[in-house]
Amino acid sequence: MKRTCDNWQDKLPAGKSGSHLYEEFELRAKNVSTEVFRVKRADEAGKIILDIVKETGAKSVALVSCSLIEASGIVAKLKNNGVTVYTEQGDIAENVGTADIGISGVEFGIAECGSVCQDALAIESRLVSSLPPLHIAFMESRNIVPGIEDAIDIISGFFTEGYVSWITGPSRTADIERVLTIGVHGPGRFVIIAVDEGADGGAA
Amino acid sequence: MSKRRNLKREIKEKLNDDVLRNALGRFAEEYPAAREKALENVEDVDALRESLKAMKLNAVGRIEELADRFEEEATKRGVKVFRAKTGDDLKKYILDLCRERDVKSIVKSKSMASEEVDLNPALEEAGIEVKETDLGEWIISLAGHKPSHMVLPAIHLNRYQVSEYFSRELDKSIEPDIAFMVQTARVTLREKFLSADMGITGANFGIAENGGIGLVTNEGNARLVTTLPRIHVVIIGYEKLIPTLRDATPILRLLPRSATAQLMTSYMSVISGPVPVMVKRNGRWEEDEKEVHYILLDNGRLAAAHDDTFKEIYQCIRCGSCLNVCPVYALVGGHVYGGHTYAGGIGTILTAFMSGMEEFEDFNELCIGCRRCTTVCPGMIDIPGLIEELRKRSVKEHGLPFVMDKIFDVMTNRRLFHGLLRAASIAQKPFTSEGLVRHLPLFLAGMTKDRSLPSIANVPLRDRIDAVIKKIENPVKRVGFFSGCTMDFVFPETGESVIKVIQDLNMEVVYPDGQGCCGKPVSATGDVEHAKKIAMNNIKAFEGLDLDFIICACPTGVEQIRDYPRLFKDDPEWKVRAQSMADKLEEFCFFVAREYEKTGRLEKAPKKADAIKVTYHDSCHLKRVLDICEEPRKLIESVGGYELVEMKDADKCCGMSGAFGVQHSNLSIPILKQKMDNIRDTGAEIVACACSGCMVQLQGGIDQQAPGKRMKHIADILAENIRD
Repeated sequence: MKRTCDNWQDKLPAGKSGSHLYEEFELRAKNVSTEVFRVKRADEAGKIILDIVKETGAKSVALVSCSLIEASGIVAKLKNNGVTVYTEQGDIAENVGTADIGISGVEFGIAECGSVCQDALAIESRLVSSLPPLHIAFMESRNIVPGIEDAIDIISGFFTEGYVSWITGPSRTADIERVLTIGVHGPGRFVIIAVDEGADGGAA
Repeated sequence: MSKRRNLKREIKEKLNDDVLRNALGRFAEEYPAAREKALENVEDVDALRESLKAMKLNAVGRIEELADRFEEEATKRGVKVFRAKTGDDLKKYILDLCRERDVKSIVKSKSMASEEVDLNPALEEAGIEVKETDLGEWIISLAGHKPSHMVLPAIHLNRYQVSEYFSRELDKSIEPDIAFMVQTARVTLREKFLSADMGITGANFGIAENGGIGLVTNEGNARLVTTLPRIHVVIIGYEKLIPTLRDATPILRLLPRSATAQLMTSYMSVISGPVPVMVKRNGRWEEDEKEVHYILLDNGRLAAAHDDTFKEIYQCIRCGSCLNVCPVYALVGGHVYGGHTYAGGIGTILTAFMSGMEEFEDFNELCIGCRRCTTVCPGMIDIPGLIEELRKRSVKEHGLPFVMDKIFDVMTNRRLFHGLLRAASIAQKPFTSEGLVRHLPLFLAGMTKDRSLPSIANVPLRDRIDAVIKKIENPVKRVGFFSGCTMDFVFPETGESVIKVIQDLNMEVVYPDGQGCCGKPVSATGDVEHAKKIAMNNIKAFEGLDLDFIICACPTGVEQIRDYPRLFKDDPEWKVRAQSMADKLEEFCFFVAREYEKTGRLEKAPKKADAIKVTYHDSCHLKRVLDICEEPRKLIESVGGYELVEMKDADKCCGMSGAFGVQHSNLSIPILKQKMDNIRDTGAEIVACACSGCMVQLQGGIDQQAPGKRMKHIADILAENIRD
């Protein structure tokens, strides 16, 4: 899968980023209607996602894997519950337009504004996070940076070409009478699952 | 200079548009607090604004170099870059590209530059289907309108109007339910995204070091436009170029907060190079490289970049905050500003460069110079200052309208002007009552509804001087008093108060009889030549009098006299003489507060049970040009027997703004009404201010709308408490 950066983890400034920023991040994210869950281990995400599937009656999921998602074992759990899961590029391209949920990983969060940063070079990452009405993003809870400036500094460190997106809550518009309405062209629901134990099993 | 547009009629139409008035009124009401809230976790807002300004100043100073580097880096990565000098060049490039690549349908995310050059009609004429996908842009494209706000293009329409446009477009009845209509837009446009051959976006910034672009959006349409179609065309103006990605930081921290009071928009993407795209060949999906084109648009921008004064417009990040706080925009909306792409104060300036001076001349008077926009502009652009500068150029190029030219000739001749004012004081007799013109002849009726215009005083200040000026034994300072014509001929009693307060400081007051109008009303129209003559007259009047200070109790007068040296920038002799007058000048409140402080008189007086409530109105120019807002309040509180109560939006313009208040009374009156409402809500008996222009407006408003209240200059409040 194409990536703008091969190892984001290494780029996060050790002294500055960390789960101590989680509360601020969560507050800012929830302020813009992001649904935020924090779990200790990746496999605990299964219940959260299955609950969402049940609640929405979702039949199909388009998913771009990452190490956290692999550790969560969510693909098997979804399939066991009768949900169709598209994980191959061609399948995603063909079916993402009708998929009920998109699932992907994101690289880090920004406490100042409750955003998450996604390496969006791979087209399948953009498709699963843009087209379905609901997007679930996995993130390590230790991967939070304080501010917009820190986030730009990180990306500046290596960016020469590619596609990087920040996602901040669901898609929204206020173009009719300035009434805030969510879910215009992108997902109407945005869910973050913040995992404390890294995919390598180490504590954050 | 012939007026091609009937601006007054257009304004009247907008003032009668209840949908517009309601939407803009609510927005203007809610925006300042929402912005403030969004800035709550920015440690030092002004430092951040400074950093944006510095970054942009650096960028515009090296614009050619940045453009070359941007082109080079983008080309290296496989992007095709085209520099369009004009809108026609841009349209031709896209039309040719569509023909070559067999493009039948296009989806667009927001690009103001494409609106600016009227791209869509050109594409449609060539038989290409083009869909705006930003909801607001889609709505106005269905309505056949131009955007009325940079960020909220359809703010002038309500849900019922939108449902009509949707019903017509989709050929079925669409209920005027906002959530349902948004869902309808999602479904309708989703098909277009999936089938489009080309995507067109604007860019919020272009990064020279890596040839990348940044997109800041909320709806998610830009991500779809840049992801689904096989060809991506970016339309980017030169002003969006920044040296490095790091330079995007102040933009990203300020743009969402200033534009929509968000800490960050839903989506922000940085894209560089031909990113992957999926194409279906023979029923199979394959990954391919996207074809990417950048069109770097000039259309007047480079001329501005090379203009030492107007390169400042490169500091604009198109957030629209200047519109959101503009008292005139809040009444008329965006379409009156040339009916083109960019509205409000900044739009007035951009229009001059992109569409030409003639269009600018049609509507530039809508800027009343209240400077409220300068307090929020993230790029710290002096919007009213630049508009005044453009007026100067316009007068230089096209001259003044004949009538104005003749009036200014008269004002330049002090004796003639004062003679006319004296004659006016006699001529208006039948129409005056209690010092205010209550019943002007019928043709002026529009001017006086809800506001009386003041009458010319029977005896101007200059004829009262001998009775007021006292001989001071051993004066500590010798002070010249510049009254300005309003204080001289309309509020001479306030002039007497000023003299009294200064004499009470044991200072000797000199009132040179040769003084006249400060010249501000003339300068404000851009007429430099008449302004210079008026300035020379005043400089001469105050020379050789051995003065320690010159005091003026009208902020526009202070501002104007401080500007005299700049008027004579090409005349060394007069520049020195102007500077020497400007150096001695002090604003009244500031001066008195400083003197009172020295002797402990500025202390807050003990509170009294029967204190009279006073509310203070900040004059735009006193607060935002001279940065004086604490002193007048402290002076009120130093006097025993008064209780200062703050009104809502104390520093919002009263709507006078010199000639504007009379010329555009239909705009001036609604602004005054808001002010009067805020005054009434305080329950204060006295309205205090420290500007003679505001005094004209407030006195007129009180007389018609709030009888029983009294208006006083700070000097009057102080003088009343000085024993003779």
